[in-house]
Amino acid sequence: GLRGLINLGNTCFMNCIVQALTHTPLLRDFFLSDRHKCEMQSPSSCLVCEMSTLFQEFYSGHRSPHIPYRLLHLVWTHARHLAGYEQQDAHEFLIAALDVLHRHCKGDDNGKKANNPNHCNCIIDQIFTGGLQSDVTCQVCHGVSTTIDPFWDISLDLPGSSTPFWPLSPGSDGSVVNGESHVSGTTTLTDCLRRFTRPEHLGSSAKIKCSGCHSYQESTKQLTMKKLPIVACFHLKRFEHSAKLRRKITTYVSFPLELDMTPFMASSKESRMNGQYQQPTDSLNNDNKYSLFAVVNHQGTLESGHYTSFIRQHKDQWFKCDDAIITKASIKDVLDSEGYLLFYHKQFLEYE
Amino acid sequence: MKMEDMSLSGLDNSKLEAIAHEIYTELVEDACLGLCFEVHRAVKCGYFFLDDTDPDSTKDFEIVDQPGVDIFGQVYNQWKNKECVCPNCSRSIAASRFAPHLEKCLGMGRNSSRIANRRIASSNNMNKSESDQEDNDDINDNDWSYGSEKKAKKRKSDKVRGGTEGGAAGTGVRDGGDMGGHRAPPNAPLPPSPQNPNSPRRSKALKHKNGEIGGNPDPFKYSNSAGINYETLGPEELRTLLTTQCGVISEHTKKMCTRSLRCPQHTDEQRRSVRVYLLGPSASLPEAEGSVENDSFEVAESQAIMSRLQWDGSSDISPSDSASSKASTNNSESRKTKKKKPHLGLVSGAPGLGSSKKKKPKPPAPHTPSIYDDIN
Repeated sequence: GLRGLINLGNTCFMNCIVQALTHTPLLRDFFLSDRHKCEMQSPSSCLVCEMSTLFQEFYSGHRSPHIPYRLLHLVWTHARHLAGYEQQDAHEFLIAALDVLHRHCKGDDNGKKANNPNHCNCIIDQIFTGGLQSDVTCQVCHGVSTTIDPFWDISLDLPGSSTPFWPLSPGSDGSVVNGESHVSGTTTLTDCLRRFTRPEHLGSSAKIKCSGCHSYQESTKQLTMKKLPIVACFHLKRFEHSAKLRRKITTYVSFPLELDMTPFMASSKESRMNGQYQQPTDSLNNDNKYSLFAVVNHQGTLESGHYTSFIRQHKDQWFKCDDAIITKASIKDVLDSEGYLLFYHKQFLEYE
Repeated sequence: MKMEDMSLSGLDNSKLEAIAHEIYTELVEDACLGLCFEVHRAVKCGYFFLDDTDPDSTKDFEIVDQPGVDIFGQVYNQWKNKECVCPNCSRSIAASRFAPHLEKCLGMGRNSSRIANRRIASSNNMNKSESDQEDNDDINDNDWSYGSEKKAKKRKSDKVRGGTEGGAAGTGVRDGGDMGGHRAPPNAPLPPSPQNPNSPRRSKALKHKNGEIGGNPDPFKYSNSAGINYETLGPEELRTLLTTQCGVISEHTKKMCTRSLRCPQHTDEQRRSVRVYLLGPSASLPEAEGSVENDSFEVAESQAIMSRLQWDGSSDISPSDSASSKASTNNSESRKTKKKKPHLGLVSGAPGLGSSKKKKPKPPAPHTPSIYDDIN
């Protein structure tokens, strides 16, 4: 299933995302077993059908690189904000592509049908959609208001941006999580996740009306994972677009091959708050174990650069995909790379 | 030993063991036999060795890990000449240049939206909204000739310096309709004018109507300025007058036409009826005899007139009228059509009437652009 992709003119961002998607095992199985039934009014404009064709091309055994011009045309007609011959962001493309695929799975051409993410059962939602729980705790009455939002990716702040990264949570000193303590020097993905799920004091300028005590009070907000998707995509926010400056943060972030998301789950937080004993990470609970299968990297500056990706096949064979050129890569190459988009796949799938 | 004949409770241990052993051996035999059948069938059907591959073909598909070469053993950079077919315009484009081509082809991207933004900005400007509306209508109207569209574009480029970059909100609409450099489809949505949307168009329509009407009075005015009120003249004067002049009485002004006897604006019938009316039934046109010759004269003179007016349409009139000694009705018909053309030709005098050749039975349509050109 390895095949190069021709760069159509600054389309390396698209090529990397396509490589990542075509090597997502569940998606590959779905398309290769021809399970897509087109519901679009005009099948020639269905992006899912085009993805299906793309999978056929990848597994055809051809060695010459594929030219994804039809895919580009379809994406541009359906996601107008992306259209234009200029360098673009791979993450933005990923979200737009998932959105269009999701719409087309239900035959929705113009985004007019009511979108109820909780009830959608298309393959995109089954694989990529997770639930992010946001808890707002009133400081006075300690009542908690909870909302759950669907997400396709998790965007993580990095040290070196204008917002301070350390300390991770107010008052804490970097507790031991995932069996690894914070070693000063290298930021890890786990550090970023801990920061993402830390309780955040909202401050006196952002008082929220508490439904428990019916008054505006200061509160803390905390994000946790309610439901993790089968494929979790982490987006390291390397491109800073603040009012002051626009730059790329090139801080190296180390990411593991295997990741356990248990400490970031909403259920773990509840058990922690209830004072239950937090189980060691290598417990029998295998639900939240993820393994890395694709990495998208960016080299260059904010304005101009080049995207490449690393793809995993057969458990421990990694390949570097640089547009039309596919070469063998070592695990060390992958783990030493800067990392921009990280794709993790759940290790153990359960039947619902 | 038949199981049905025995009840287990009455047996001792050794017999129970024997029964258990027998069940076990049956199960094992079934399993082995099943496997044998499967392998036998696979060999017989020829798919037993399917998973095995010979070492040569395995080498073929091995992953190559050498520098300078990709995993299939191919050299880099040999894919530069790939081509693909654009789904929009069906042209064959080099693959590495496909994205910029598609951007222009679909009318998206920075430059196209910049042009569209300028258009919106200049149409938002109060002073220019009317003319821009006209220009927009020009582009959208199928009846417009290519010449007027070019003029519209040129005017817009002049406005670029003055216009500010409009908001991007309108871009979505414009991108779909007005493509930079492309002719917009007739039903492309137009940006709403900040003023009363009806007013610019109404004024334009009025202008057009004025154009048509305005065109018409000119010859009338021309004839009226030298027009003669026949009521003040005596019959002798009238007769003299009518020998030299056309004399057809205009319905609008009630005055006689002072043009020559071969005035293209009026037909001989009209001239004859005027003379009959003024001078009595015995009156006739001075040159009533020899109508055939007169046709050719008329043709010659109308050609002369037309050449004075720089009117290209003359060439198609002569062949249809020439040398036709057939029934006079034909000639009068052709003369009638001739009449309409010079009528409008006097208004504009534009060379654009060359297109009227093909549309002779419907003269008004091709002439409208010329009128507008004149006004514009």
